[in-house]
Amino acid sequence: MKCVKKFDAIPKLDGSWKFIDDYSYDDMLHGQLLYSTCHHGYIKKINFPANYNLSEFTMVSPKDITGDNIVPEPVCDQPFMVDKEVMHFGQVIMGIAHPNRKLLLKFIKETKIEYEELPAITDIKECLDNEENHFGKETIIDHRTKKEPKGEWIHHHNVYYTPHQEQAYLEPQGVISVYDPKANSMFVLISAQCPFFVKSGVEAIMGDAVSEVIIESPEGIGGAFGGKEDFPSLFAGISSLLSYKSGKPVKMILERVDDIQITTKRHPARVELDTWTDPITKKIKRCRIDYRIDAGAYQTLSPVVLARGVLHSISGYSVLDTFIRGRLFKSNTPSNGAFRGFGVPQALAAMEAHIDRIAADLNINPYEFRKINLFRIGDEFPTTQKIVEEHLSDCLERVIQKSDYHKKVIEFAEWNKTHKDKKGIGIAIGYHGGGYTGNGEKVLDSEVKVIIDKEAQVKIFVANTDMGQGAHTTLAQMFFEAIEHPREKCWVQLPNTSKTPNSGPTVASRTIYIIGNLLRKFAFQIKDELKFKNLEEYVKTHQNEFPKEFHKKFVPDKSVIFDEDTNVGIAYKDYSWAACVTEILFRADTYKIDLKKNWNVMDVGKVVNEKIAMGQAEGGITQGLAYGLSEFFYKPGFGRANGFTGYTLPTSLDLPEMNIEFIHTDSEIAKGLGEIPMDFPAPSVRNAFHNATGVFVDEYPMIPERLFKALEENK
Amino acid sequence: MKISFTLNKQAVTIDVEPMKRLLDVLREDFNLLGAKEACGEGECGACTVLLNGEPVTSCILNAAHADGSEIETVEGISQTELGKLIIDCFDETNAVQCGFCFPGFFISSYHYIKTDGEKDLNKIKTALSGNICRCTGYEKIFESVMLACERAN
Ligand code: FES
Ligand code: FES
Repeated sequence: MKCVKKFDAIPKLDGSWKFIDDYSYDDMLHGQLLYSTCHHGYIKKINFPANYNLSEFTMVSPKDITGDNIVPEPVCDQPFMVDKEVMHFGQVIMGIAHPNRKLLLKFIKETKIEYEELPAITDIKECLDNEENHFGKETIIDHRTKKEPKGEWIHHHNVYYTPHQEQAYLEPQGVISVYDPKANSMFVLISAQCPFFVKSGVEAIMGDAVSEVIIESPEGIGGAFGGKEDFPSLFAGISSLLSYKSGKPVKMILERVDDIQITTKRHPARVELDTWTDPITKKIKRCRIDYRIDAGAYQTLSPVVLARGVLHSISGYSVLDTFIRGRLFKSNTPSNGAFRGFGVPQALAAMEAHIDRIAADLNINPYEFRKINLFRIGDEFPTTQKIVEEHLSDCLERVIQKSDYHKKVIEFAEWNKTHKDKKGIGIAIGYHGGGYTGNGEKVLDSEVKVIIDKEAQVKIFVANTDMGQGAHTTLAQMFFEAIEHPREKCWVQLPNTSKTPNSGPTVASRTIYIIGNLLRKFAFQIKDELKFKNLEEYVKTHQNEFPKEFHKKFVPDKSVIFDEDTNVGIAYKDYSWAACVTEILFRADTYKIDLKKNWNVMDVGKVVNEKIAMGQAEGGITQGLAYGLSEFFYKPGFGRANGFTGYTLPTSLDLPEMNIEFIHTDSEIAKGLGEIPMDFPAPSVRNAFHNATGVFVDEYPMIPERLFKALEENK
Repeated sequence: MKISFTLNKQAVTIDVEPMKRLLDVLREDFNLLGAKEACGEGECGACTVLLNGEPVTSCILNAAHADGSEIETVEGISQTELGKLIIDCFDETNAVQCGFCFPGFFISSYHYIKTDGEKDLNKIKTALSGNICRCTGYEKIFESVMLACERAN
């Protein structure tokens, strides 16, 4: 049963599956955002172009807000629209709607805003190198011993930078808000990951002006990767305000250029590492990590990203004496947000490069060095959580074997002696915790609902969206496989906040891990309760009991205790583990890295649907490789990039041959899978470049200009 | 301006602004919603259709281009025998993720199989290099097209 096909594949192929822009309503207006083109300052005047009939437009600004001008987020500090001070380029100033989209876009383009400009920070290093830009609460893990470093230990110090990364979901942000004056309700159809987050956003901006807010998912969500986690709250808030004011449905679809300029990105990071290693035992004895991320102009959800980054920043190594300090920094760029990996790829970019640097200085092979320092059962994470399985070590051994690593290291060194181009091979390893951090799942209090009707059709109600990751196919599969019910009689319903219980957001690799495993248990429980062998037979013989509704809540494991102030305890109940090896060819004439082969071995627990899982892994690896190698805003924070022409994504010609294997799949539970493929490809490429050339690059992406500079400096 | 063309094998005539994008003509005037807009600048291939049998990005072509030509969209191609065969292959490999790029990939694959069709990975990669997919990492797409090449022959 492992390869159940996706229920939505055929309509997506023949074009009949509807995405947000494929819906329309009678008398519908088109909405767009007027946003700032200044990084920091005050708005002096907004000059609308002449030759337009202003009465045809509906406009909303903060004075039209019937509720609060603050987007509900973990930290509530970001306004829906500029109140006094413009804090970043791309900050929303007004929402504007008109029946004609083309005319509206032209009108906005011709609108000129005068500013009184203030000094602004837009450069990543300018932001992150200066301690004065620090804001918000720190996240600290203090696992220090009192011992001073011994004189013979070798000290390594280095600073690593990673840039913004654009989620680049292929379908731009889109929403339709429909205000119903009779019912005084707001209905919102939106391409978003988390319908209940959007609900809070719309409720916040509308206040008491509407009595009900309903959020629904369209059939298709054209990719998200974190980019449709929190921005949709702001976005839907403004479209709803426009619909309320005009009394008409308002559709707002962002142009790609605007989407890239104003929405959230992966946080740029600066990670400073200090490690001390015993040259005899080759053990890392002491580690200090200073992890900084650029939150943008507001904190919003950045503290959560910060915590996740900090918790993964030691990678897979056991170091007794550790101190990790995580801080948010402020810049005049749009607030950064969620992106697959959520702070972890930045942390590992640093640690996994650092490990190879130490290994080189100790004159030991990077594999051997990792092996010596790897977690063992009984060791502790810096949070004091005990390591209970050695699957990371299994991943490492397997990937080394599959890639023929040892043989290639020797072969490549030999080949490189006589060639201008250089071959290289690199490793990266680590883990990714599944679900919300620490007590998060307790707070979420997730609930799912199942209705079984008179025809034995099972309808599953969850708030988790299918944005392409195949969640609705896999979730249904986990249910119907458990009770051996026919596949065509079990469906996940499209999320709608008035019908669906809140099973929590579609984030943090939690959909299958938390909700899927819950549904599987739930299926067994219903079977036990009703005492059936075959559900169809049972329904036939007990018609008067149906339709029947069942509810179940997620009950977090009581033994999971985490102190969020001290970061001591169990941060994640289950970890996925992975090891990655990439083989490259560095071209001496173009300074370009060609990706040749990539191997990934992962333990994500039970694999429910092998092809869907493989597809997730392949997509994540691709985003990971491009993060390290090519994705780049030439001018971060300054208009950034012009659509996909400026921000280039990998095509079918840019990728290596991939080889993926899942191990320890006999596990009872399916663990997190969404994020972990993203974490290791980029550092493995960086290490492969070092293996090829003997030179380390401390910044992503490893574009030819940067490689040229690194090689020149090391001559 | 009045333009006439063949759309999915049927003769059509419409009165349209000559500079209107072909993508908008298809979506707005003919309610053919299969072609998607992802970038609007000819970079991603989500809006691909066949113009006189050749794949083009309809977001950067004007309606005037369509005059006198033959246009095929995903709605038409998916009904052909070869189209159905290709859809089955994509379906079997679970290649489709969010699906926003797929009508475009489907058309480029159809064009490749129809005009060449050799089961050659490098050729397939080149044929699909004008289409961007952010979800899949392309592996399952290659697999599907390889399978379709095999079956079509
Ligand atoms: S939308 Fe036409 S090429 Fe991207
Ligand atoms: S499947 Fe989502 S962009 Fe290709």
